Amino acid sequence: MSVNTASYDPYFVILRVAIELVSVVICLILVKFMIKPYQVTREGRYIGLPLGFSFLGISYAISAITYSGFANYNEIIWRFQLILRAFSFVFLAVAYYFSKKPTKNTHYIWKIVFSGLLIILATSVLLSVITPYTPRNNYLDFSVRIVSFICIAYIFIHCLREKTIAQDPYAKWVLVAYALLGLSQYSIIVWIADFSYFAFWGSLIFRLTSLVVLLAVTYKIFGRPKKGS
Amino acid sequence: MKIPRRDKMKIYGDLLLVLQAESSKEKVTITKIISKSNIPFTRLKKYIADLVELGLIEDETSLKLTEKGKRYLHQYETVLAFMESMGMSYK
Repeated sequence: MSVNTASYDPYFVILRVAIELVSVVICLILVKFMIKPYQVTREGRYIGLPLGFSFLGISYAISAITYSGFANYNEIIWRFQLILRAFSFVFLAVAYYFSKKPTKNTHYIWKIVFSGLLIILATSVLLSVITPYTPRNNYLDFSVRIVSFICIAYIFIHCLREKTIAQDPYAKWVLVAYALLGLSQYSIIVWIADFSYFAFWGSLIFRLTSLVVLLAVTYKIFGRPKKGS
Repeated sequence: MKIPRRDKMKIYGDLLLVLQAESSKEKVTITKIISKSNIPFTRLKKYIADLVELGLIEDETSLKLTEKGKRYLHQYETVLAFMESMGMSYK
């Protein structure tokens, strides 16, 4: 069953819009907490966290508006939300990369990878600006999703290598959340290739579960009582 | 092993943690604070003056945390725990 034919089904529309709206709300709540490391430390290297989740929330909001019928679905809006989403993952990956002091970062390979990803993204943006009316092509969709997937994979590896993972139960759940987010992007890539119904819905469910896990971890940590109270 | 340089916010946070731990004891000695916070005496005096000015500790002699100081310290510890769980280091 193709998602394109199912997209006319009103149940599909309601469910899709509901998932997008719930994602928007979760991202907005996460931004409120993700900005705290920057507020407390005043270090610019942590600004990527709230920026990433803000961009992610905006891209889900655009999807919700488009699918709900408030705005006509068109190529420019589709490309805009796609690129916003990719930039959000790049922001998150960069925040993780710089979370270690620059002096400790001697892994030039990742610097090269991030530079490459930024070039691909910038090229995609330029292509969208120069040729906004060309028909939707799988190449742009595919390349941007690959960029997002690489960013999430980097974040996952980064978290996995942290020493705290063994002692901190919340760190394990954060790892699970990023793994689910990665699976969500992977499912979307599968969907682009074969329009599989399961891959499409799987990606939405993985994404939603990932955001819920991140939200639960955040609430658990920030809801801890004061020492001695 | 080379110890990474700390920025001002990290120093304030670490210093407040030491002061909080020491405040439970009868007498707070400056030598203990110097050794535990790893800050030389001349700089420590300046940081303590800054903390008093910010209203985070009562005065330069008692070195007791104010309510504002306790609130800030709780927020600092929570954010540090959050960053660790998120797989981010604050060094």
